[in-house]
Amino acid sequence: MHHVRVDQWSRGSSPLHTRDPRAKILALLVFLIVLATTPANAAITLAIDSALLLAGIMIAGLPLAGLLLRAMVVLPFSLTFGLLSWLVGDRWRAIGLVEKSYLSAVAVLLIIGVTTLPALLTGLERLGAPRMFVLVAQFLYRYLFVISEQAQHMRLAAASRQGNPHIHRKGRFRAAAGALAVLFARSYYRAEGIHRAMLARAFTGRFPLLDSQHFRPADAVFAFAISAFLILVRIQ
Amino acid sequence: MTPIIEVRDLHFQYEDGTKALDGINFTLHEGETVALFGPNGSGKTTFVLHLNGILRGPGSITICGIPLTKESLPEVRSRIGIVFQDSDEQLFMPTVLEDAAFGPLNLGLSAEQALARAKSALDQVGLGHAIGKAPYHLSAGEKKRAALAGVLAMNPEVLVLDEPNTFLDPPGRGNLIQLLQTLPQAKLIITHDAFLAAALAGRAVFFESGKLVADGPVNEIVQQYGWGYPALPADLRYSAQRRF
Repeated sequence: MHHVRVDQWSRGSSPLHTRDPRAKILALLVFLIVLATTPANAAITLAIDSALLLAGIMIAGLPLAGLLLRAMVVLPFSLTFGLLSWLVGDRWRAIGLVEKSYLSAVAVLLIIGVTTLPALLTGLERLGAPRMFVLVAQFLYRYLFVISEQAQHMRLAAASRQGNPHIHRKGRFRAAAGALAVLFARSYYRAEGIHRAMLARAFTGRFPLLDSQHFRPADAVFAFAISAFLILVRIQ
Repeated sequence: MTPIIEVRDLHFQYEDGTKALDGINFTLHEGETVALFGPNGSGKTTFVLHLNGILRGPGSITICGIPLTKESLPEVRSRIGIVFQDSDEQLFMPTVLEDAAFGPLNLGLSAEQALARAKSALDQVGLGHAIGKAPYHLSAGEKKRAALAGVLAMNPEVLVLDEPNTFLDPPGRGNLIQLLQTLPQAKLIITHDAFLAAALAGRAVFFESGKLVADGPVNEIVQQYGWGYPALPADLRYSAQRRF
C-alpha cells in the first residue's frame, strides 16, 4: 500500500512540524482571511504573501515542485469561474479568483504537509470544531487507507482476469460498478465490525479524549507573529 | 477452581432464521486456556460475542461471578477483553497510543491514568516504540500486538482471541505464541491451528452446527475430529514428473 505523499511529508521534524496544530490552524485562518480581502491588483501584498508561503515550504523542507503541482488541483474550478468573469468583462475578478484560490491551496497544503491529520483534527476540535465533524473526518481518514487498499486488490484481481484492456469497454464499466457495490457492502460490514470492537472496549456512545497537545508560549508567539505580519502587510 | 465463565443452555438465532447456537453449556476456570475448534460457521465467534453482551440470546451467562444483564454490561466488558480477527476493525483511533487508551478512558479513568495503562500495555506487547504511529503504518504482526495492547490496557481477567494468527507469517505467529504464553489471564482462543492451540491451551472444545459437541484435552480433540494437518500422503506429494 502506497500511502499518500502528503501524509509522509507531515511526519517531518522541522520547526514548523513541531508547532502546536492550533497555532498553525490560527495562522492559516488569518492568512486565508487576509488573502480573501486583498484586492486582486495589490501585487506587492500578494507577492509578500507568496514569499511567506515559499519561506514556510523551505523551512519545513517540503518539496517545492511537488507541493506547487499538487496545489494546482484547484485550478480547473477557479479557471472555469475566472474565465466566466473574464467573459463578462471583469478582468481583475478573474485574475483574483485564480491567484487567490491557488495561493489558498498552497497555504492549506503547507499546513497539512507539516501537521499529521490526527493532530490537525485534534487541533480543530480544541479550537471548537463540532465533535461530530471531527469524528467523521477521523474515521474517514483512518479507513480510507483500508478501503483504498481493498479497491486496489480488486482492481488487480479484475486486471488479472482481463484480456485485451482496449476491448469490452462496456464490460469494464459494468465490472467497475460491481466492484463499487462490493466495496460499499464491505464498508458497511466493516463499520459493523468496528462498532462491535468499540462496544467490546466499553464504548458507551461518548468518545473519550486524550489531550496530548500542549500549547506552549512559542506557539502563541508563532501564531501572533504570523497573524500580525499578515495584517500589517494587508493594511499598508 | 472458581469458574470465571459459566454459560448455561445458551441459544441464539440470527434475524434470517439461522440457528447459530443451540443449547451451549461451557465453563472456563481461572487461569485456564481453552481452544475453540470447529468448522467455519459452526458458532464459535457468535458464542464469544455473547460473553460480553454484544449479542444476546436466551440462556444464562456468568462472568467472574457476575450474571450478564443489561445493567452489568460495563462491569462485564471490563473483565472480558476480546481481540478480534481483523485488527483493522479494532484499531480505529488515529494513533497506537490513543487506541490503547480508548478502553481505559471508557472505563472512566482519568487521561493520565489511561495514558499510563496504555503505555504499560504497549510496552508489554513490545510496541513501546510505536506509540505515535498511525495504525496503518504497522505491519500485520504489529497490528495484532497493538490490538492486544488495547485490550490488555483494560486489565481484563479473561482474554478472548478470535483467530489470533490470521495474516501472520510463521515468525509472527511464533512471536505471538511467545507473547501469549507470558500473559497470566484465562484465555479462550478461537483457532483452526492445532499447533497454536497445543502451544497455548490444555483443553479444547469442538463446535458443530451451533452445538458444543466435544470437550477434552487438545490432542484428543484434534485426533478425534482430524483437526490437525496430517503428514502428506504419498499420492499428494509434489512430484516433478506428475502431469496435473
